Amino acid sequence: MNVFSKLGSDMVALWAKYGSVYLGGIGRTLGLAIIATFIGCLIGFLCGILTTIPCAKTDNAVKKFFLGLLRVIIRIYVEVFRGTPMILQAVFIFYGLPYFTSNAFKFTNLWAVAITVVSVNTGAYMAESVRGGIISVDPGQNEGAMAIGMTHWQTMINVILPQAFRNIIPQIGNNYIINVKDTSVMFIIGFSDFFAVHKGVAGATYLYFPSATIEMVGYLTLTLVASFLLRLLEKKIEGKSNYELVQKDALTPTAGNYTLKDKPKNPNKDEEGLK
Amino acid sequence: MSETILEIKHLSKNFGNHEVLKDIDFTVNKGDVTTVIGASGSGKSTLLRCINLLEIPTSGSIIFHGQDVTGRGIKPSVYRSKVGMVFQSFNLFSNMTVLKNCMIGQIKVLKRSPADAHRNAMKYLDKVGMSEYIKALPRQLSGGQKQRVAIARALAMEPEVLLFDEPTSALDPEMVGEVLDVMDKLAHEGTTMIVVTHEMAFARDVSNHVVYMNSGVICEHGTPGEIFGHPQKKETQDFLSRFRKG
Ligand SMILES: Nc1ncnc2c1ncn2[C@@H]1O[C@H](COP(=O)(O)OP(=O)(O)OP(=O)(O)O)[C@@H](O)[C@H]1O
Ligand SMILES: [Mg+2]
Repeated sequence: MNVFSKLGSDMVALWAKYGSVYLGGIGRTLGLAIIATFIGCLIGFLCGILTTIPCAKTDNAVKKFFLGLLRVIIRIYVEVFRGTPMILQAVFIFYGLPYFTSNAFKFTNLWAVAITVVSVNTGAYMAESVRGGIISVDPGQNEGAMAIGMTHWQTMINVILPQAFRNIIPQIGNNYIINVKDTSVMFIIGFSDFFAVHKGVAGATYLYFPSATIEMVGYLTLTLVASFLLRLLEKKIEGKSNYELVQKDALTPTAGNYTLKDKPKNPNKDEEGLK
Repeated sequence: MSETILEIKHLSKNFGNHEVLKDIDFTVNKGDVTTVIGASGSGKSTLLRCINLLEIPTSGSIIFHGQDVTGRGIKPSVYRSKVGMVFQSFNLFSNMTVLKNCMIGQIKVLKRSPADAHRNAMKYLDKVGMSEYIKALPRQLSGGQKQRVAIARALAMEPEVLLFDEPTSALDPEMVGEVLDVMDKLAHEGTTMIVVTHEMAFARDVSNHVVYMNSGVICEHGTPGEIFGHPQKKETQDFLSRFRKG
């Protein structure tokens, strides 16, 4: 028999027997990735917004001190969590916390640990993305808002963040995809995600490649659907590519029809006039 | 003599040790159209940005209706809502439609109801000939159209003074006229304006007060007739002669 049809029939057999187990794993992986990406984005936005609060020379010393302190704390958070493997962070939080506090602090819920670790990680990456997204919005947007009297926060909420959000959608997609795959390291604390299911099934049935193929298809589905949905969101935020003119009362005179009396239309070219 | 709106007194601005504005003095009365002319780098934009507190003056004062706005008595955002600004690069909010651009400040800053803000936005969009385009996004408009919307956005706040920083410099020549037409119309309606411009014909024909700046100081100022007809200073004569040659 052809290897591929053998693979196919093994996959069908595996799915018939363990389908619900695989689906359970997919559900946990998807749930963890979505929740952690969401919370991570909130953390990232919070950090990004806090680190871009303007600090003028004229501000008072207390404000300057707190803003400075805030930036240092966020900096340390970002560097520590970006710079160490998630698997070790999970070990420290799950096993280290009770060990070092002689069981005063202890996570009993695996979901709580997994969500915390993945969210905090995503947050560290997103903090930088959001800060970059905010900084990359044209400074003219901020000046335009300031010039009509909007405050920093009004400008942030109505003008800057919507544009920054649009800019970082691809990063959100990236983080989600990384989370879908990297949550597998949570096996270290006994969290049974989609990949853990594979190890269980392959161990029990010795159908290693058929199970791995099911995993591949499953992971790809999780990521492709997300990519597609994010594209849709991007399109929606982008707005319509055309617009309708709104007809109005034809009798209203407009400035567009108004021309300067006894003056050329383009005064720039008027060389004689200055003599 | 009409009411004084703005008094600039001994205004100076340094960037590091670079003195960009030195001891600037001038007064703007209600209904004045002041044009500021001068070579590139002479500090015209910096002056406007100081007047709108987008830059903090190094020293001197800006008196708005008798109150020094460089002090702590008034919040910069409150003051800015009364002094509109139109930029060379438009600076329309790219995430909002034309209509929303003209409503957001009224709603958030002036706390007007959305219905009032809408009505008012339409009034000014109509004035600049852009009311058909309320559903468009800024990137879907030509430069001249964007600038007219930017003027409507500033007008919708019903400011007491409107500042223009080279509003036509980023436009293709064929669009300069439509923006100048709007500004001319506003001038005739009695809008108080300070206009930084390289459009000498506008300075000569529309404004009633011309300020010529040269390396950070007001070199000469007066009526258009005085500045264009009988410039007193050698620098002014040289500057204007460059425009005559074209
Ligand atoms: N943020 C800044 N930091 C340092 N120097 C600045 C800053 N803004 C302006 N300058 C300097 O101040 C001087 C005046 O600049 P300004 O933009 O006011 O000139 P301008 O008269 O508006 O020129 P233009 O006609 O080219 O617009 C220039 O030498 C410029 O380099
Ligand atoms: Mg300038």
